Amino acid sequence: MALIYSGGNNVESDELFINMGPVHPSTHGVLRFKLRMDGESIKECTPVIGYLHRGTEKLGEMKTYLQFIPYTDRLDYISAFPNNYAFVKAVEELAGIEVPLRAEYIRVMTMELNRIVNHLVGIGSLLMDLGAATMIMWGFRERENALQLFEMLCGARMTFNYIKPGGVREDMPEGFIPKLNEFLKDMEKRIDDYEQLINGNEIFHMRMKNIGVISGKDAVNYGWTGPTLRGSGVDYDLRKYEPYSIYPDLDFKVCVRKEGDSFARFIVRMDEMKESLHILRQVVDNMPESKVISSAEYGIAPMTGTPSSVSTYFPRIFAPPPGEVYSRIEAPKGELGFYVVSDGTTKPYRVKIRSPSFCNLTAIPSLVKGLKIPDLIAAFGTIDVVLGDVDR
Amino acid sequence: MTWISKDWAMGGIIKGLIVTLKHVFRVGNRPTVTVQYPFERMKVQPRFRGLHAVDENACIGCGICETNCPNSTITIVKHNTNWYPQVNVGMCLFCGICVDVCPMNAMKMTGNYELADYNRESLIYGPDRLLFNKEVNK
Amino acid sequence: MLFLAMWTGDIMFANTYELIVFILNYIGIYDPIYNVFKMFGLEYLLRIIIVLVEIAVLFVFILLTIMFLTWMERKVVAMVQARYGPMVTGPRGLLQPVMDGVKLIGKEDIIPAKADRWVFTLAPFLIFIPALLVFIPLPFGESLIISDLNVGLLYIIAISAISPIAILMAGWASNNKYSLMGAVRAVAQDLSYTIPLALSAIAVVLFTGSLSTVDIVTAQSGTWFGFIPKWFIFLQPLGFILFLIASIAEMGRIPFDFQESESELVAGFFTEYSGMKFAMFFLAEYAHLFSVSAIVVTLFLGGWSIPFLNLIPATFAALVPIISLVVFVIKTYAIIFFAMWLRDTVPRMRIDQLLNLGWKTMIPLALLNLLVTALLMTAGVF
Repeated sequence: MALIYSGGNNVESDELFINMGPVHPSTHGVLRFKLRMDGESIKECTPVIGYLHRGTEKLGEMKTYLQFIPYTDRLDYISAFPNNYAFVKAVEELAGIEVPLRAEYIRVMTMELNRIVNHLVGIGSLLMDLGAATMIMWGFRERENALQLFEMLCGARMTFNYIKPGGVREDMPEGFIPKLNEFLKDMEKRIDDYEQLINGNEIFHMRMKNIGVISGKDAVNYGWTGPTLRGSGVDYDLRKYEPYSIYPDLDFKVCVRKEGDSFARFIVRMDEMKESLHILRQVVDNMPESKVISSAEYGIAPMTGTPSSVSTYFPRIFAPPPGEVYSRIEAPKGELGFYVVSDGTTKPYRVKIRSPSFCNLTAIPSLVKGLKIPDLIAAFGTIDVVLGDVDR
Repeated sequence: MTWISKDWAMGGIIKGLIVTLKHVFRVGNRPTVTVQYPFERMKVQPRFRGLHAVDENACIGCGICETNCPNSTITIVKHNTNWYPQVNVGMCLFCGICVDVCPMNAMKMTGNYELADYNRESLIYGPDRLLFNKEVNK
Repeated sequence: MLFLAMWTGDIMFANTYELIVFILNYIGIYDPIYNVFKMFGLEYLLRIIIVLVEIAVLFVFILLTIMFLTWMERKVVAMVQARYGPMVTGPRGLLQPVMDGVKLIGKEDIIPAKADRWVFTLAPFLIFIPALLVFIPLPFGESLIISDLNVGLLYIIAISAISPIAILMAGWASNNKYSLMGAVRAVAQDLSYTIPLALSAIAVVLFTGSLSTVDIVTAQSGTWFGFIPKWFIFLQPLGFILFLIASIAEMGRIPFDFQESESELVAGFFTEYSGMKFAMFFLAEYAHLFSVSAIVVTLFLGGWSIPFLNLIPATFAALVPIISLVVFVIKTYAIIFFAMWLRDTVPRMRIDQLLNLGWKTMIPLALLNLLVTALLMTAGVF
């Protein structure tokens, strides 16, 4: 798994050139690092991506708006609801579709649940790389409960295809809200468990403090968004500063830390999980009532039925007027944006995806200069990259 | 010796050890959650998107599911003088769009997810494997 | 006769050989067999055969314990992580180590082309055998000890110091630059943690005045105030913690196992090993775990003695070895459980943080411990 260069163009004769290959337990997917090392420290690091490229943006030009939504699920496969929602928001802005209030509440509920689940996986895999395998097992136990909720709601556990232009596909089944309340109560106690396990752990502090430090100004210049940016002291959250959906009515605070090292990014994610629980409780308490006529009576989702409380009328031939729109949301990993150009036909002319993991990944070479390989693993784990998002 | 002077009691590690011990003895609400798969299975929810099922009396063979499928996995074939859909389960995304768009409410998805098989040809589920007859109650 | 006298709390026999001779005498078959051997002029052969039987029993006991420990580790880790662990092979997964052994035996035995064949093949055995030799002066129970060496503790520390040589052999013979780097780091870790280990053990010797393990255990029998046992852990808490951490670091378990972490580039000095040789490293690690826990129990937790053992009436004096064995095993498993419990909870340390801990923190503390103990002993407190 290693090559030694002697001679060559830019490589001095006693440098080491190491390849952390695409198949590696710690790179969260198929990502390859080309490392040039000086003894133990890294002098230069080049990430090589593209091993998971599936041509999603090109496929967007060949499928209709409704057919493209399952493909957006598979971008950031750990949290699929925000991906759906970002695309659907762009389409709704293009076509000027109104969304009923209950549908907005359901959408926000699913997105915040997904935020909790995403942070659990991120924290769990970070700790698994560092050696404590308990956290990922506990995180996946909670994730299982959340996935059962999702299965109850829309029928699938990971690729949901639930948020459609005009609302959501189906209303919540009975027994969903009690089960969700149970999940929220459980989750509080579990987050206390996690904090007790990890936050005070001295070995964890030794591994994570002052590793991978980046200042707020540099982070903004690199195009970072999301929890990684908020770990460097920059107070920027799209849910507060460009609110969409029902976020203006909700009360939550933005979690920011000043230090800019890996530990700060980790704590931001833990705090965000607790804020998401807070938001979820508000959403569940204030959920508007469902109207008497629901699409369930017709047995089918809103393609042909009359408008219901969770979706408006969506025609069979859907061709929005020509135009272009860039809409962005605060996905769990950062700012996810879709730039959709329509030329009046049923298929988009161009779909461009601005994915948070790709933009966060570009700062890795400057972040890890001078670190050792275990520090690279620790710093990279806090950036929380999913390769489906990077390669599309 | 800066390490020792700040955290000499290793309090954080001890608190972590207490939490782990609570899990060992299953104190509080901390059960073991494994399901031993081949011997017991988890219950799927009613809306689970598994293998398709077509209602024989309701399907009119219009082809709307075929047109709207993102992956083009459904084809309409002739089966005993009627036209019914045939699904290529190996290529299917299980997205559920065919269920949404069916005008006659004939396409459904069951909870069957154990669909692995030995060759690709057997993954094409024709109407003979997909059709079902719904009992009509007065 | 011993059974008629009250068991006063002194140990019955010096080692297991004498126990076996006593049992054979009691049954009555010792004299005829001895006379048979004496006819041929080979009395010493009988002694050798009895000792070989003892060693075989010990060997079988240790191998069974190691197999059980691999199962126990997976179960304990699974219990912490809210899952079950091995369940399918055998009842509750008890036959899992057997299946692991069968799998490893069936693997192809690969020796790299340019590797040094003899050294490569010899290295795993050279790690495994000292891990077994350590058990000779350990008292498993009252009069259940293979050989009560006068320098028992020194022998234990010396045998444990053979493993760096074997590690270097394994790393060098693999003809792989990264195995060699891994081996050098492992040896550095080993050496830097042997020193606090030995210093903490010496502080214990100050109390007993003798290096023999049986003397150390008998010095811990009895109680203060009637209910606190006279274990050295109460006299030397700092020494206990240092010894425990140093032995976990010697074994290469989490939090000190950067060798086996998958996030490092290579798997350490045993990258090139496959099949049964890899199994040897694995078994040696668990044998080391068991032996180190046994040493901790002997030195600090009172070995096989519990406070009320000398109240057993005379007619049950034969039960004393058995009870002491059970007590010893329970205490050892408690320490093993602690090591496994610690493994699930904390992440790894980086290699330079690990070496910093060993040299800059633990050696000064061990020396301080020794100094304070010596001062208090001279002042007559103990």
